[in-house]
Amino acid sequence: MHRLSSLLLRTLIWAVILAMLCPVGWIVLTSIKPADISQSLPPVWSFTPTLRNYADVLTGSSYTSQVFATLIVHSAIVTALATLLALLTGIPAAYSLARIRFRGRKFTAMWILSTIMFPPAVSVIPVFILASRLGLMDTLPVLVIPYAAFGLPMVIWMLRSYVKQVPFEIEEAAMVDGASQFVILRRVVLPLLMPGVVAAALLMAMLAWNEFLFALALTRSAVKTAPVGISEFTNMYGTQWGDMTAAATVTVAPILVLTLVLRRRLVAGLTFGAVK
Amino acid sequence: MPGGAEARRAAYLGWGLLSPALVLLLLMTAVPTIYLVYYSLHHVDLLGPGTHFVGLANFRRVLSDPEILRSFAVTILFVALAVAIEIGLGLAIALMLARRLPETNLLTALFILPLGVAPVVSALVFRVLLDPAYGWIDYYLQSWGVISQPIDWLGDPLNAWIAIIGLDVWQWTPFVALILLAGLQAIPQDPVEAARLDGAGPVALFWHITLPFLRSFIAIAMVFRAIEAFKTFAGVEVLTGGGPGSTTELINLDLYRLALQDFDVGAAAALGFCFLVLLSVVMQQMLKVLGRNTDILEE
Repeated sequence: MHRLSSLLLRTLIWAVILAMLCPVGWIVLTSIKPADISQSLPPVWSFTPTLRNYADVLTGSSYTSQVFATLIVHSAIVTALATLLALLTGIPAAYSLARIRFRGRKFTAMWILSTIMFPPAVSVIPVFILASRLGLMDTLPVLVIPYAAFGLPMVIWMLRSYVKQVPFEIEEAAMVDGASQFVILRRVVLPLLMPGVVAAALLMAMLAWNEFLFALALTRSAVKTAPVGISEFTNMYGTQWGDMTAAATVTVAPILVLTLVLRRRLVAGLTFGAVK
Repeated sequence: MPGGAEARRAAYLGWGLLSPALVLLLLMTAVPTIYLVYYSLHHVDLLGPGTHFVGLANFRRVLSDPEILRSFAVTILFVALAVAIEIGLGLAIALMLARRLPETNLLTALFILPLGVAPVVSALVFRVLLDPAYGWIDYYLQSWGVISQPIDWLGDPLNAWIAIIGLDVWQWTPFVALILLAGLQAIPQDPVEAARLDGAGPVALFWHITLPFLRSFIAIAMVFRAIEAFKTFAGVEVLTGGGPGSTTELINLDLYRLALQDFDVGAAAALGFCFLVLLSVVMQQMLKVLGRNTDILEE
């Protein structure tokens, strides 16, 4: 009886999880299907896998205006810069909020947390107008600065909870040895924070890599990112299934790898350090 | 408490370390808000010199437009439905994953994959799979005899709602389940054993021990999920574009269309301002929920 119910449970959970993975499986499957049969019904299940779609998409023989490989490069540059900016500003802020006692600290921490409620669809309007007035349309700063700002509350709150776990005695010992605050932060605290910093960086990178709204509104070609490029495989002639899924696989694969690598720290990051 | 000079030194240092982050955050919140208020009180002419003060006319126009008023209802219903379903489903899945099976690690790893898929990609894939002519979903539902006619998923309001909620649930239930799983794994086993020895069944154990213990985790999952759900854009924009008609038009989609497609910046700013007011009320409530049920806001 007990064995039967546990077998049922096991079957059920496998069924649920395999069903959830279907869309991901479909992307990969369609991306390696020859383009002429990708849309045929009933779906063709036996075929010779081909990398033709990938070659088309990455070298630009598909119907889009830009080579998709270029968009991947844009995405990588924007993601790297936004992550760097968020860490450079977020780490000192997290340390300050966790360790230094001054008036307004608690209020500031709460204010930083409440900025996550600010919807990008609202901020994109003034940013769009300012960017076009200042001639910043389709440049790196109009993506990098907003992305860093969107990720900052997560970076700060998560690292703040990591700083609190660093025993204060270690810092005190360094202080007694005459080290300055900056040296303590860089030489003593930062190495101990590294697991948290890596997790925050990877989550920040996921956020920037997947962002769509700002990229759609503020870029044309010079810094157009991969998510916008993928959405353009759907046009008035319908969706190019093979091209779209190949582009999607290239875009999603690195993030899925990150998700798996990050698995243990994903919860801490997604809940701003509230759950460990 | 340290003396005056020391306190001043701490204040300088504290604000100094904070200031780069604060500049960045103010740049993306306070500055847009100021511009938003200014635009909302003006007729904005983006190309010529025609920008002029119009008082509250934009607000009157926006708040008397039934389509826009409906987008508030659509947004709130979307968030409420999506979050409620995700909490229920996430709890069920977390309970299943919490049983230690030999393959639990593998299952969890597979299960969280949707979290990494860019919303644009998942929405496009859903759209293609739900296509009545070429989509696999209608094809297999028909060939298995579940339905006799293809379902027009995105052309019918109710079906379109099922699609957008289904997409959000598919993408974000792993997030909720992951948090609740962390909670379940932290439940101390002593009270569970004691209750079991006293003859408590699985249902009683769940109601009296598991659920109360999970309360703070449920609160965290709900708050963070609701906040993100209010900001949804890419998934719904790509999947339904707000249609059919404007039955799935979230405020975020409305804002985008008003400002960046119709260039009616004044109306968009007025609507954006109203949305910000709504969200700040919501955020206050969310922080209250967090404060009452968890200790994450404590010093």
